[in-house]
Amino acid sequence: MTTIMNLFGRAKSKNNTDESYYTAGQMALIKARFNRKLSGRIASWILITTLMLGLFASFFSPVDPTIKGADSDYRRGAPQMVYFWDENGFSLRPFTYTYTKEGAKIDLKALAGGGLAALDALTSSGALTSSNQNKYKVDQDKRRYLQFFVESWEYSFLDLTPIGIDFEWRTKLHLFGVEQGQVHLMGTDEDGKDVFSRTLHAIWITISIALVALVVKLFSSLIVGGVSGYFGGRIDAVLMAITEAVRVIPPIPVYLACAVALAQIDLTSVQRYFAIAVVIGLLDFATLGRRLRTHILTERNQDYVLAAQLSGASNWRVIWVHLIPSFTSYIIVDTLINFPYVILAETSLSFLGLGLTEPVNSLGVLLQKAQDPDIQQNMVWQFFPVVIFVVMVMAFVFVGDALRDAADPHSENK
Amino acid sequence: MIGSFLASTWLFWLLLSVGGLLFWRSRSSQYFGFVLNRYLLALLTLLLVSAIVFSLMEVLPGDCAEKYIAYKNTQGETITQADIDAERVRMGLDKPLVHRWASWITDLTLRGDLGFSCAKRQSVNVALGNRFWMSFAFCIGGLVFAYLIAVPFGIFSAFMINKPWTDRNPQHSSAKRLLNTVWLFVQKAIDLKLRIISYLGLALPNFLLALSIILIYVFAGESTPTGLFSDQWRDQPWFNESGFQYGKLDDFIAHIWLPIFVIGWSATALQLQTVRALVVDETNKLYVDAAKARGVSGVALWAGYPVRHSINPLFNSVGFDFQRVYNDLPIVAVVIGLTDSASLLIEALAMTNDQELAAAILFLVALVVISMNFVTDIVLAAIDPRVRRSVLG
Amino acid sequence: MIDQENLLQINDLNVSFNTDEGSVQAVEKLCMSIKPAEIVGLVGESGSGKSVTAKAIMRMTARNAVVAKQSQLLLQHQEQSIDIMRLRGDGLKLVRGGVVSMIFQEPMASFAPAITVGDQIVQCIQIHLGYSREEARAEGIRLFDRVGINEPEKRFDQYVYELSGGMRQRAMIAMALSSKPKLLIADEPTTALDVTIQAQVLELLLELREQTGMAMLFITHDLGVISKVADKVMVMQKGRVVESGSVKQVLYSPQHQYTKRLLDALPHLSDLPYAPERQSPIVKVEDVTISYPQSGAGRNKQSFQAVKSISLALPKGQIIGLVGESGSGKTSLGKAILGAASISEGQINYCGLNGDSSIVSNIVFGAKAKKVPRKALAKVAQMVFQDPHSSLNPRMTVRDIIAEPLEAMKLTRSRAETDQRVIDIAKRCQIDVTHLRRFPHAFSGGQRQRISIARALICQPQFIVADESVAALDVSTQAEILSLFKQLRDDLGLTILFISHDLSVIANLCDWVCVMRQGELVEQGSVRQIFLTPQQQYTQQLIAAIPLLDNHQKAIDTEQSEVELLSAAG
Repeated sequence: MTTIMNLFGRAKSKNNTDESYYTAGQMALIKARFNRKLSGRIASWILITTLMLGLFASFFSPVDPTIKGADSDYRRGAPQMVYFWDENGFSLRPFTYTYTKEGAKIDLKALAGGGLAALDALTSSGALTSSNQNKYKVDQDKRRYLQFFVESWEYSFLDLTPIGIDFEWRTKLHLFGVEQGQVHLMGTDEDGKDVFSRTLHAIWITISIALVALVVKLFSSLIVGGVSGYFGGRIDAVLMAITEAVRVIPPIPVYLACAVALAQIDLTSVQRYFAIAVVIGLLDFATLGRRLRTHILTERNQDYVLAAQLSGASNWRVIWVHLIPSFTSYIIVDTLINFPYVILAETSLSFLGLGLTEPVNSLGVLLQKAQDPDIQQNMVWQFFPVVIFVVMVMAFVFVGDALRDAADPHSENK
Repeated sequence: MIGSFLASTWLFWLLLSVGGLLFWRSRSSQYFGFVLNRYLLALLTLLLVSAIVFSLMEVLPGDCAEKYIAYKNTQGETITQADIDAERVRMGLDKPLVHRWASWITDLTLRGDLGFSCAKRQSVNVALGNRFWMSFAFCIGGLVFAYLIAVPFGIFSAFMINKPWTDRNPQHSSAKRLLNTVWLFVQKAIDLKLRIISYLGLALPNFLLALSIILIYVFAGESTPTGLFSDQWRDQPWFNESGFQYGKLDDFIAHIWLPIFVIGWSATALQLQTVRALVVDETNKLYVDAAKARGVSGVALWAGYPVRHSINPLFNSVGFDFQRVYNDLPIVAVVIGLTDSASLLIEALAMTNDQELAAAILFLVALVVISMNFVTDIVLAAIDPRVRRSVLG
Repeated sequence: MIDQENLLQINDLNVSFNTDEGSVQAVEKLCMSIKPAEIVGLVGESGSGKSVTAKAIMRMTARNAVVAKQSQLLLQHQEQSIDIMRLRGDGLKLVRGGVVSMIFQEPMASFAPAITVGDQIVQCIQIHLGYSREEARAEGIRLFDRVGINEPEKRFDQYVYELSGGMRQRAMIAMALSSKPKLLIADEPTTALDVTIQAQVLELLLELREQTGMAMLFITHDLGVISKVADKVMVMQKGRVVESGSVKQVLYSPQHQYTKRLLDALPHLSDLPYAPERQSPIVKVEDVTISYPQSGAGRNKQSFQAVKSISLALPKGQIIGLVGESGSGKTSLGKAILGAASISEGQINYCGLNGDSSIVSNIVFGAKAKKVPRKALAKVAQMVFQDPHSSLNPRMTVRDIIAEPLEAMKLTRSRAETDQRVIDIAKRCQIDVTHLRRFPHAFSGGQRQRISIARALICQPQFIVADESVAALDVSTQAEILSLFKQLRDDLGLTILFISHDLSVIANLCDWVCVMRQGELVEQGSVRQIFLTPQQQYTQQLIAAIPLLDNHQKAIDTEQSEVELLSAAG
């Protein structure tokens, strides 16, 4: 055969590499097609970086994000720049400066002599506002060099106790820090909590809430779609009528109602957080459920399913070995595409004060602060979580888009 | 006697006569059979929606009796638990959920009565007034905005999706290849930029977008376009002695664009993805090649074949698009300070626990979505032979 | 420069495709010329480059195709020689519908679904002839009439799905003729049609050539069709022309090995086997009726009878052909025999199974005994499907696919035993055992079909239903699969029910033939009886419509005269 092909000059240029192509499963093929999309590839690297930053937030953050780590000497502080050189010379090790609080410039004398009128003047001049109370002087001569792999506050790097394994790896190691005091790359908030560290921690909380919601959603959709599609008939008609009814009601008001109801129950913040995720997931079965049903209906009539039945395979085997794997790639793509929407739902709830609340670090909670006119005008650096949020959602959307194109079998012959 | 009976049951007779008319027509026409089928299905879905919404509102704390008593309390009367219970019995709140739902739905189908809001102490119909129509107008405005952007850009993006970045055709001279490559690069770059802008609408949460726009006004020192009118025009009538007040219209437009822009932009991303996918699907079909092979070219080819065939399915989802847009509206309304039904909804849910009002608004939204679906279904079946074939056999 | 006699002249056409695995040559050094009113047949299998050649003439090659610089495509138009590769803008209309027009294989997919057929034709006439709308419409209806569409005015305003298969292809031809082209490219115009309609369409094309003097480039894989219509023929294989010349030369004294292989695939009516010994039946189909509820709107739901009370005995150890046009109910019957379609009346009786302790000796199911004994049946009866793409789960390796019946029914004791049986059966079906780790997408259609056969054979069944199992394959691959079937019959004593619409395949493979039409059994008999002396009128029509080479036609005539002589003597 090969000789004939050589004879006609059509022997394909690939030879050794094709075995890997031939033995590649569907997922590997999708991956290969995905890799051809430049925008998807770039977006996926951005996404992976963000997720890693979120997952190992404690390692990457120089400061404890909770109130324990709050820097009482640097409240409402602006971002501290990192330099390699200044007029005092070049340094291979990056450094920042020492910031010290300026003394409050209140004219006490005038206040003492002037009585009420002076007090009025002082209040209206704005000198008493917290932003004027927290001004910092940069001391360029006192450099603080960044240290890498430093020991600082303790955290658990890996904690398996929640899943039943008695293993916890606690460490004090952090990627970077400074010798004395703290470094605030993105400034601090009104309590002196480090914005950069808070944002990193918030990423993972937001992602995990979305993950919980999507897993719950997947289960509810699988049950509804699977039962409806596989059994058909009257069960299908009833389930689809209910699905249709759920589909026409706008979801955010429904989440709101549930959040209000949850607020009645006395829950810890962690429980509340899971309860909200579960509610978001449970009520979002309509779209995916319907699609899965259609998918099962078409896939059920494929020849290979009939072949399996004729081979003596039981219903159970047909479902698990043939039908369910046939839409895993679809489910993965759908989940990825839905990530931004679930994250947005969480932020919307938090924005209205009905989702997570301070002191929990979620992107929704941090975004909610953007409403505050004080932050809008005096602490623009607290918009840093917004930037991370937008980048992350955009990355999700682009990866989802490219993955959808890649998973579509028709794109093979384009 | 009969007149008042008819007046109190008008909606029921209206629904019934539409059904009867459809049934009569369906005996001679397969198409009307389909319409009747859809009509009954829509009514059934509405019934289900009302049940879901009604039971959902049960989870909100408090009930009518408590609110009424609390109101009395402010009037300086001392209230005991026994009073509350007596009030409950008087209002029928001790009856089971199904019973209350049935009476609510009966009032609704007989005369379009959406119930009584205890928190506002007035009929829901009165409390809503024109506010629902206001939200409706915002949503339609937002949708039109989204379509206006998404349809042309989506089509453009679909034609770009498989274009290469460079031209390597040996039949072309090298100068032409270079020219083509530059042109392709420009097109691809525009496509990428358009997609990034439209996805930004999705990635930026609505409230942030609205906030940022307001912030820009604040920094620029202009008065912010919150609400529907500025203070100057708020209490002016549309018409006075000197005729129609164009100033008020100007003021109105200067305010109305903000909510429409905000919710429209966030709807754009999804629409763009949909249009893109639909057009790509159609472009790969053989009939496009066949049309090309018989000399159809240029705009006549693209507009007449793939685009024409992908537009109809796009309007299939207009009802759900409305739902999605309305979904975003409440938060935008809070940020911008609108006084439409969406902000009422937030108020009812998060602040006053006004179950009746919230249920009524959610039901109305569902009603609009279902009616839109109904209309698009029957219109598409009438004009699109593909749909006709699949639904009528 | 173009030769004055030629309408189209192609010199040294080279087309390659840029793929991820590098450049793939699709057409190489192709030279061809077509004179006015000449019909040139272009024969080859899928991927041989014949469609790419047609597309290159119309300048419609795919985006990643590269036509080499030295390629010359010249067209004679109004006493001028036109270089097709230099055309641009409106000039392209010359080769797209103007002087050259095309009919496609699938008329259903070639008409836009949401525009009436008439409107598409009117648009085409307006583009090329500049008629007004009314004139174009009148012309279109005239053409509809001419290609033999009844009620042309009514059909003109219908959508494509409202037309029947044959009508669609006629409408497609009317469309291609509407611009009065000088060259018609017909890409497999009859492949998707039933055999009787195929004959009508071919006749129509020949008639049109007579009337208009239009030249044709006729692309097909079927040499029988070519022998009926073409003047000249070119055989392509893997992008190259391996043989060309007049139809007589090429078809009656083929030089190239490949041409000979293609010719072998035509029915050899001269050496059909005589009726084999009558064997006892392995399966009996007893009065089986299959009806499907038809999806109608609302109250007037009707059921559609796909199979109407058929009784049939399938003789052991033979290949039985089940022939019929699309919609004749043959697939429903095949599935019903395997218990995969619900039987509304009658029953299936597996009465001739070879006894073995693990096998139930007698399996009966049908309208009365609803429950199909799935596992018992799976051990004795299996199916080979039509589409080798959809019948193999794309997410399983070849080894897992073949082992499926063993694993589903837990027939082996260990994984090693399963592997051993998979390897044995793979060898028997001529599958390279080193490929067992691969996924189905790595295989060609023929190899996939071998996998499908291996899966059917792994638990040593006695009976196999092969549903159009070679319809999706190229002619030379078909021949390999057919010989595999024959070998399996001889080696294993398998009984095979072979369902097909393709009479050539049936003639080359089967011992016994049953003809079905609209759910009814029309005729059955040995392959020799059916092909040479068909009794029923419908069978006669079917046989007469097979495109045959003339020497094969002679065989039929001799046989028939012999029979007549015999009957006269008797």
